[in-house]
Amino acid sequence: MNDTKNLSSTERIKQKSDGLRGTLAEGLLDELTGAISEDDQALVKFHGMYLQDDRDRREERAEKKLERLFAFMIRLRIPGGFLTPEQYIALHHVAGEHSTGTIKITTRQTIQLHGILKSHARPTIKAFNAVKLDSISACGDVNRNVTCAAHPAQSPIHAQVHSYAARISQMLLPKTKAYYEIWLDQEKLTDKSEEEDPLYEDRYLPRKFKIGIAIPPNNEVDVLTNDLGLIAIIENDVLQGFNVAIGGGLGATHGNSDTYPRLASVIGYVPADDRLFKAIYTIVTIQRDYGNRSDRKLARLKYTLDKYGADWFREEIAQRAGFPLEPARPYVFNERVDYFGWQQNHQGLWYYTLFIESGRVCDSEKLALKTALLEIAQTGKANFRFTTNQGLILADIKKKDKATINGILEKYHLLAHTENASAIRKNSIACVALPTCGLALAESQRYLPTLLTQIEKLLTAHDLDKEAIILRMTGCPNGCGRPYAAEIGFVGTGPGRYNLHLCGDHEGTRLNRIYKESLDEATILKELDVLFWLYKKERITGERFGDFALRQKWYKA
Amino acid sequence: MLTTPKMTLMQELIAGSSREELIWLSGYLAGVVAQGAPAYANPAAAHPAPVLSTPAAATHPAAPEATATPVKVTIAYGTETGNAKKLATDFAARAKKKGIQTKLVGLEQYRLNDLAKEEYFLTVISTQGDGEPPAAAKKFYDHIHRGEVKVEKMKFGVLALGDTAYPLFCKAGEDVDQQLHNIGGQRLLELQKCDTDYETEAGHWFDRVLQQLHSPARETTAPGVTTAQPFVAARPTGKKIYTGTILTNVNLNDRGSGKQTHHLEIAAEGVEYAPGDSLGIVPENPAIVVEAILALTGADASRPFPHRQEEWPLAQLLARKLNIVYLPERVVKKYAAVVKQDIPETKIGLLDLLKIYPVKDVAQFHAVVGILEPIAPRLYSISSSPEAHPGEIHLTVARDTFHINEETKYGLCSDGLSQLRQGQTIEFYIHHNSQFRLPAPDADIIMIGPGTGIAPFRSFLAERDARGAAGRNWLFFGDRHFTTDFLYQTEIQDWVKTGVLTRINTAFSRDQVRKVYVQHKMENQSADLFRWLESGAHLYVCGAKEPMSVDVEHTLLDIIRKEGSKTAAQAEHYLEELRETGRYTKDVY
Ligand code: SRM
Ligand SMILES: Cc1cc2nc3c(=O)[nH]c(=O)nc-3n(C[C@H](O)[C@H](O)[C@H](O)COP(=O)(O)OP(=O)(O)OC[C@H]3O[C@@H](n4cnc5c(N)ncnc54)[C@H](O)[C@@H]3O)c2cc1C
Ligand SMILES: Cc1cc2nc3c(=O)[nH]c(=O)nc-3n(C[C@H](O)[C@H](O)[C@H](O)COP(=O)(O)O)c2cc1C
Ligand code: SF4
Repeated sequence: MNDTKNLSSTERIKQKSDGLRGTLAEGLLDELTGAISEDDQALVKFHGMYLQDDRDRREERAEKKLERLFAFMIRLRIPGGFLTPEQYIALHHVAGEHSTGTIKITTRQTIQLHGILKSHARPTIKAFNAVKLDSISACGDVNRNVTCAAHPAQSPIHAQVHSYAARISQMLLPKTKAYYEIWLDQEKLTDKSEEEDPLYEDRYLPRKFKIGIAIPPNNEVDVLTNDLGLIAIIENDVLQGFNVAIGGGLGATHGNSDTYPRLASVIGYVPADDRLFKAIYTIVTIQRDYGNRSDRKLARLKYTLDKYGADWFREEIAQRAGFPLEPARPYVFNERVDYFGWQQNHQGLWYYTLFIESGRVCDSEKLALKTALLEIAQTGKANFRFTTNQGLILADIKKKDKATINGILEKYHLLAHTENASAIRKNSIACVALPTCGLALAESQRYLPTLLTQIEKLLTAHDLDKEAIILRMTGCPNGCGRPYAAEIGFVGTGPGRYNLHLCGDHEGTRLNRIYKESLDEATILKELDVLFWLYKKERITGERFGDFALRQKWYKA
Repeated sequence: MLTTPKMTLMQELIAGSSREELIWLSGYLAGVVAQGAPAYANPAAAHPAPVLSTPAAATHPAAPEATATPVKVTIAYGTETGNAKKLATDFAARAKKKGIQTKLVGLEQYRLNDLAKEEYFLTVISTQGDGEPPAAAKKFYDHIHRGEVKVEKMKFGVLALGDTAYPLFCKAGEDVDQQLHNIGGQRLLELQKCDTDYETEAGHWFDRVLQQLHSPARETTAPGVTTAQPFVAARPTGKKIYTGTILTNVNLNDRGSGKQTHHLEIAAEGVEYAPGDSLGIVPENPAIVVEAILALTGADASRPFPHRQEEWPLAQLLARKLNIVYLPERVVKKYAAVVKQDIPETKIGLLDLLKIYPVKDVAQFHAVVGILEPIAPRLYSISSSPEAHPGEIHLTVARDTFHINEETKYGLCSDGLSQLRQGQTIEFYIHHNSQFRLPAPDADIIMIGPGTGIAPFRSFLAERDARGAAGRNWLFFGDRHFTTDFLYQTEIQDWVKTGVLTRINTAFSRDQVRKVYVQHKMENQSADLFRWLESGAHLYVCGAKEPMSVDVEHTLLDIIRKEGSKTAAQAEHYLEELRETGRYTKDVY
């Protein structure tokens, strides 16, 4: 059981929070500051928001005797990343009225809006609520947004598998009504027993908890980077069940060797019936009871697993659930891609996967992306499906409507935009980082696009421009862009400096390793030039860059 | 018993003697009788007390009193920043010392019905705005100008306070003097106009008053052409002018704000001021405008012109002394006379005038220069505290912005200040305001200061913080937007953290559909606000006169009515009492 003596401060905050209420309601009324109290900052995450400030503006505002430019980032809970056109239209307008205007598609298939002033927080949540969207548990020490293979063309039974995302998410929601009270002006509960929460109790989980569902052979959800990964086992178009993988997680801290990225270990199989839900629920309770509650850096399930071992874990599941996990079934991952361009599913519905750099939906002088997407939504002829690569699929388009949608894509040059984007750009991810992320050590989504332009030149020079190398960048070692599960990973160490990671595989079943540390742009490009040259010269035909790198032992001993 | 000559001699002696002298005399005569010897043979014998050294007599030997006919004197003052009050109070004390029955009263409290009964009526009144009476004297001023009252009995004297730096020097005083005369009053003595260094002249004026009270000379028929004129001429202005160096100049409004409010820190060692005082500056005209005028008129830039007993080259005169950017109607009128054209009476810049209604020749332009008025000083509330920011003066300056047919223009002085860079110097004077002062350290204060109205309250709070004053402090601040326009936000937050600010309420008018202003926040807090007043809190208002200070006052009255369950009249009275006891003061512009 977890050490209850020296609990971390966050544990205390959670326990005395009165069902995640804290003093949020009062804090929203404080006229003196755009911020909320530190304790409430920890609590507001459970409601799907982070208090941030525009780091670009700190010095100048200080000189003006103004406090930091505080604002909320809100993250929606969208299991499996599916929105109706009506919901997308609402999202578009909320973004315009209450946030910076940019709609950010995240690496967990959902949406973030930034720059929401305190006075706009309630209106934002109300507007989302009106179209049945919420941000409950999108952050915080609870189960987060459940991800799932996004593209219906992946399997005739995609819809069936996909439905589990919403059901799992629902099952693992906290019982507190605080969200409705604080943000939606609902009556205060008189009878608190309605809020009895056998799963989270009053302490919630020791840390964030993430669940993802993959449909082999495509592993575009990076299923093994989740605390709990579910791999759909499908036999001749019938869903049998899921392999259960636990202990994934990428977060690490520079200079703290006790922390490390880890891919989930497959520990068994469970049929796609009640037992699936029972097993998931049980795993969450085990992490609740055994996860480290004194050191948050060591609180994720991966550390719990490495502390007690897989056998102990299987045993504990069997005991608590009343049945054991079956032995894992065979499966293969042989790709990790978004299927760009037009695709058709088994029912003949059409899908267009759009290239959206770093998942940032906004209008620029070059591309009226945001306007285009609104126009598409307004036709009511396409659903919106987000991918875990910060991508977007215009989905479930009837044959007769395809031309309409294609016309709009044409009109806004989005077809060309997607086709002309290089293979490496299409396979890249950059996390948010500066200016909003409080933990960023270096730039990421603001910087990668220009760095890629340089890298593209090198690839073309080495005649490698068709290679779909998976390249990911983050502004710090937390790993939000899953850089450790990339063939080329950049992890920020300080302004303008990045660790270069190599040797990860293309399918996301092998983490990469540090090759060289704290490189600046010039050095990065010099290094890559040589690496690409060798790769071109000495690769075995069809050999992926990540595998070649490993063969060359391109990692720090 | 006495022979007539002896009798008259004695009467003269008595009349000519002060009270002390008479007392001594009676004692002396008694002594003489006792000694049975002719006293004058040996006056020293009785060791008379050195009469002439008694203070009353020593300071005013030339001011004997009519013990025969005891006079009743009213000394009424009209003040904005306390100078007139201070003088009037000194005068009253001196008069009382002389055994004169004296009533000291502020013109805002003066019962206008009493006017007709007044016998000896002395007024000390300053001039404000552009030649207007102080707000407190407005009622009186309008009353006598309506000319419904007659004051045949009245012998009056007016002491006008002013500043020769302003175009209409002592205008309010002049008007009062003229008008009291028009409605039948007789001048006890001529109008005395005083510049900012008024002490000595004022003292002499009152000496003459006392003299007149004793032996009234026939009314000086010459209207207010005063003996002060030569003095004034001799010293253009007695103001102490300081030079300060800019240390910092930051625009407090964030990017995207529609406003620019500059926080200036000025190094100014040894400048005496107190929280509540403001700083005065005479801005210079833009060089381009001056050049344009010279070019347009072909006038010789270096031609020497007389100005206030000094000589200035024309260019200098136009740049630094005379108002050319925005002429008041009265000057436009004079211009029309000079150029012999009919011009609608509106405010307009000289350059525009010259373009639209050109002068015939350079000679005519020289005539125009003759009718121009001096550049009026601009005042800025000091936002620093002598205690917290020694050797420095801080200002909070809103860059005044306005539009003339689509073109954005800036106010002369505030624009200049907003452009100042570190290391540059400015000339200024201190305008003391003894009416707008912190109360006793343990008294509570409520400060209502939206926009630049925050300036003196930053000074108040810094001062109280530095001195560890025990009184509670409550601030109402407002502006347009929370994120861009919250002036001094971090300082205010620190004062809240450290407990210096007991309470703060903010109103950001444009952050929501319905406009919200400080008075609305006062309404929300009405119960507590009234409780504070009841427990003796002092209330201050600073910032825009219109509409802010007016709306705030209405709200105050509503609050007093509602919370104190009073009638409108009672509420008025309640507020009036606060005003009289110095617990409700405004510094609005
Ligand atoms: C938006 C997103 C990156 C993106 O560009 O898409 C993101 C953004 C942030 N992540 Fe993340 N994380 C995001 C996916 C991830 C992933 C990838 C994934 O889950 O597939 C990881 C690695 C996997 C994992 O969880 O280990 C990830 C690991 C972290 C960590 C490290 C956790 C750890 O165990 O050490 C932190 C820091 C923390 O939790 O203390 C973090 C924290 C943050 C915060 C909230 C920074 C903070 O705590 O103040 C970032 C907000 C930046 C901003 O201004 O928006 N984020 N974060 C992703 C949103 C996912 C979602 O919709 O829920
Ligand atoms: C006691 C007191 C305290 C004060 N404290 C402060 C303070 O703390 N902070 C602060 O910012 N201000 C303060 N003020 C106001 C300040 O003194 C000035 O009045 C203000 O800065 C405007 O002066 P200016 O020279 O910039 O504008 P000016 O040039 O005097 O113009 C003022 C107005 O005149 C009109 N105008 C001017 N020129 C033209 C033209 N050519 N055509 C048409 N219209 C024109 C415009 O409406 C303009 O807004 C205070 C005033 C007083 C009396
Ligand atoms: C805003 C303002 C405007 C003034 N306008 C004039 C003016 O038009 N003519 C003048 O002679 N003095 C003017 N003065 C100067 C005052 O009359 C002078 O400072 C006087 O000493 C103030 O006396 P008080 O404190 O009794 O009001 C003005 C002062 C201020 C603060
Ligand atoms: S990886 Fe680091 S910098 Fe990037 S978003 Fe996550 S926490 Fe911020």
